[in-house]
Amino acid sequence: MSKGFKYVGNTFPCSDAARKVTGDLLYGTDMKLPHLLHAKLLLSSIPHGIVKRIDTSRAEKVPGVIKIFSHLNAPDKMFNSFRIIPGQELCIEDEPLFSRRVKYVGDRVAAVAATSLAAAREAAALIDVEYEELPALLTTEEALSNKEVKIQPGGNLAHEYEVDVGEVPFKAEECITVESETQTQRTHHGALEPHVCLAYYDCSGKLTVWTPTQGVFGVRTVLAEFFGLSYSKVRVIKIPMGGSFGGKQEFLFEPLTAFMAMETKRPVKLLLDREECIIHTRVRPAVKTKIKTVVTKSGKLQEFTADSTLDAGAFSGSAPDYTSSLALKVTKLYRIPHYKHTGRAVYTNTVKSGGARGWAAPEIITATEVHMDQVARKLKMDPVEFRLQNLVHPYDLDLVLNLSVGDARVIECLERGAEAFHWKERYNQGMGRGRYRRGIGAACGAHKNGMYGGFVDCTSMVMKMNEDGSFNLNASLHDVGCGTVTAMGIIAAEVLDVDPNLITVTEADTELTGYDPGCYGSRVIYNVGACAKETAEKLKEKILECAAFILHKPKEYLIIENGSVFVKGTEYLSLTYKEIAEKTLQENYTDLSAAHTYYSPSNPGSYSVQFAEVEVDTETGLTRVTDFLAVGDVGRAINRGMVEGQFQGAVQMGIGYALCEEVKIDEQGKPVNNSFKKYHLVNAPDMPDVQVLLIEHEGDDGPFGAKSVGEISAVPTAAAVINAVNHALGTSLSDMPLTPEKLLAAVKNR
Amino acid sequence: MQIEFKVNGKSCSLDICPTMRLIDLLRDELGLTGTKEGCGEGECGACTVIIDGEAVNSCLVLAPQVRGKEIITVEGLAGDGELDSLQQKFIEHSAVECGFCTPGMLMSAKALLMKNPHPSEEEIRQALAGNLCRCSGYSKIIEAVKDVASLS
Ligand code: FES
Ligand code: FES
Repeated sequence: MSKGFKYVGNTFPCSDAARKVTGDLLYGTDMKLPHLLHAKLLLSSIPHGIVKRIDTSRAEKVPGVIKIFSHLNAPDKMFNSFRIIPGQELCIEDEPLFSRRVKYVGDRVAAVAATSLAAAREAAALIDVEYEELPALLTTEEALSNKEVKIQPGGNLAHEYEVDVGEVPFKAEECITVESETQTQRTHHGALEPHVCLAYYDCSGKLTVWTPTQGVFGVRTVLAEFFGLSYSKVRVIKIPMGGSFGGKQEFLFEPLTAFMAMETKRPVKLLLDREECIIHTRVRPAVKTKIKTVVTKSGKLQEFTADSTLDAGAFSGSAPDYTSSLALKVTKLYRIPHYKHTGRAVYTNTVKSGGARGWAAPEIITATEVHMDQVARKLKMDPVEFRLQNLVHPYDLDLVLNLSVGDARVIECLERGAEAFHWKERYNQGMGRGRYRRGIGAACGAHKNGMYGGFVDCTSMVMKMNEDGSFNLNASLHDVGCGTVTAMGIIAAEVLDVDPNLITVTEADTELTGYDPGCYGSRVIYNVGACAKETAEKLKEKILECAAFILHKPKEYLIIENGSVFVKGTEYLSLTYKEIAEKTLQENYTDLSAAHTYYSPSNPGSYSVQFAEVEVDTETGLTRVTDFLAVGDVGRAINRGMVEGQFQGAVQMGIGYALCEEVKIDEQGKPVNNSFKKYHLVNAPDMPDVQVLLIEHEGDDGPFGAKSVGEISAVPTAAAVINAVNHALGTSLSDMPLTPEKLLAAVKNR
Repeated sequence: MQIEFKVNGKSCSLDICPTMRLIDLLRDELGLTGTKEGCGEGECGACTVIIDGEAVNSCLVLAPQVRGKEIITVEGLAGDGELDSLQQKFIEHSAVECGFCTPGMLMSAKALLMKNPHPSEEEIRQALAGNLCRCSGYSKIIEAVKDVASLS
């Protein structure tokens, strides 16, 4: 148990764990509705072209087929899958339900709704599509230089930005300049649960959608606007989610599933297979970043100039916002007198890019941290020592956002991590001369805590005490699988001093739960958690008021302990929650509930510093990560075991990012890694046992000091691994992923 | 075609289409939706069930192949309302996050422990090599299995 807390900081299983280990929990893939139709997509086989003809005659003959949809019988209206609120900036509406001009291999051409998935699949395979091919632009370079072919009507440049803050300092000391270029690749989110959505449009004109989404109110915005429905007639229900990692954060399939349900007047379920998840949904964007830094010979950063190009894929989606976010990370991490960052998002005829865990931080921080090792090497300085001179201190001002970084403890993360990892001794040990080379690497990362300073960040909850002294917390949660429902229960339990098992917490349902923009931007524990705390505190005051009335004592004389109210100093004068609840109903004719809306007041940084040890086989080019330490400045762990799990899972993802995961597109525009056979997620034998060290200071506004975990945990991993490989081989590799082929070539060229 | 087999201790006799996959038989015909499909090609392990003591990817097995065999799915792990010790330890160790890999993980781990009640960490990792998890980094899953292996 942590100091001073009864529940916060302990380890609790996620609240639906028993249902998950028995197979009892129903995910979207398992859900059934009466008269349900199953839908199957037909995707484009060419990267760019016009659909000349769609022949569905053979497909229609398959028994069970109800209707086949394509651009021929669907509205030509467009939507943006990232629009959370009406009028949201940087949301270009360029995505149709079905494309007439297909823009990537995997673009949506048609869909079949049938009485069974087998029939839908069989029919989809029998649809004949004739295309007129257009030249395809598969790289950002091609797309920028080709002025004839326009992927979107406005051309191939989707978005541009420039940030220039601070002043070029007067250089009292001699400086060096270091330049680098890092390519981070397209990756698949790899949630084990494929994308799924169910919809039904009933005869009263109400649309109900069941979806494992990160934002029911955003889904509602897109649906209501697209179909011209009243917001009150669109009900979106968050269902259990088998992982997202940003892959399910945009509103990808709800419009299409709803459309098919409206047309067929039957409930429809759209379930994707793995290939569709990889080639059709969204990928983490590929980003190329050039960095130039000017650093004093004693190791102080003076100037940081970066230029990034992000491959948006064929539609804009969230790419403009994502791209701009590339410039919002580095100044949260380092003190830089002059920071300049230019960048752009470019359309290509490749799979759409989209939100991914860390929202631009893994991309830009990887480039930055690989660069920082190069600077340290040029300065002949230990990379940890070099970083320590430049990292932000608590309550520094982030120059780009003009916001405080809060109680930023990245220096402490680095110092304590370096000690625990025995950095000095291990770094100065030789890398070995034989076939196997060992190296260690460190990297730092920063991320945010919500949307304060740039977007709506409020949340509303209601908490009720029941007749038996148990509680219901009615909240718009979107648990992606990491236990936010449980965390909210722990927070409320701490306030009310009751067993968390007595509190039932809801997930989001636009019809029944309060407004919340969704599970994005690392806002959930920091802001939604703070709302849970304040709502419980409000209810606690009410409980005390009612107890005061019943006991005929001033409220100030009362204290809450262990699910009961006591009169201070007198053990015999007490009431259990149950007694208070009953008496309040019987004698006061009122219930016990509290409603609360919370507005986030700040947006500090969350930090992580990670250390990797690798062993590179110079004959096969294979790299093994043999040891790993993740240090997190998390403010306060609410559910310790789950916080550790966040870091351990993030490291699995980051190792894959560094070494093997990539959705590669071949010269014909076809995705090469379109299955788990060809797209490798790191498995149990290849994972090190990841150690986690948490730094807890409670200096910011989160509940009991808690800060975000889920995204920051994934920010510095890849850079730590790459820095370790470069340490092992004496190289400066930065073209990700570091596959055996690339490593062998690097060893050969040395 | 008619086939007979046992699922979670109960005998079944069903008329099935010979090209049906075992995973569809379990999920669609028998309503045992605890078995999940993450890839459909034998790469993720979410669909793992135990057939005559061996962990098998049910997406790669055709239904007629289970004729006369005994299948255990995740629904068959708990006996009489009491969770199996593996299930309990997964819960205790926070080895369950989104839960989509969990049924397959449990079945692979169960098959291992049925054959080898005290496996080493290396043996556990190898037994779970075909089960992908995107949430946990495997550490807590391995801890949970180790804990069960150290009981008794
Ligand atoms: S669904 Fe069978 S192994 Fe993935
Ligand atoms: S718990 Fe989510 S995939 Fe393993």
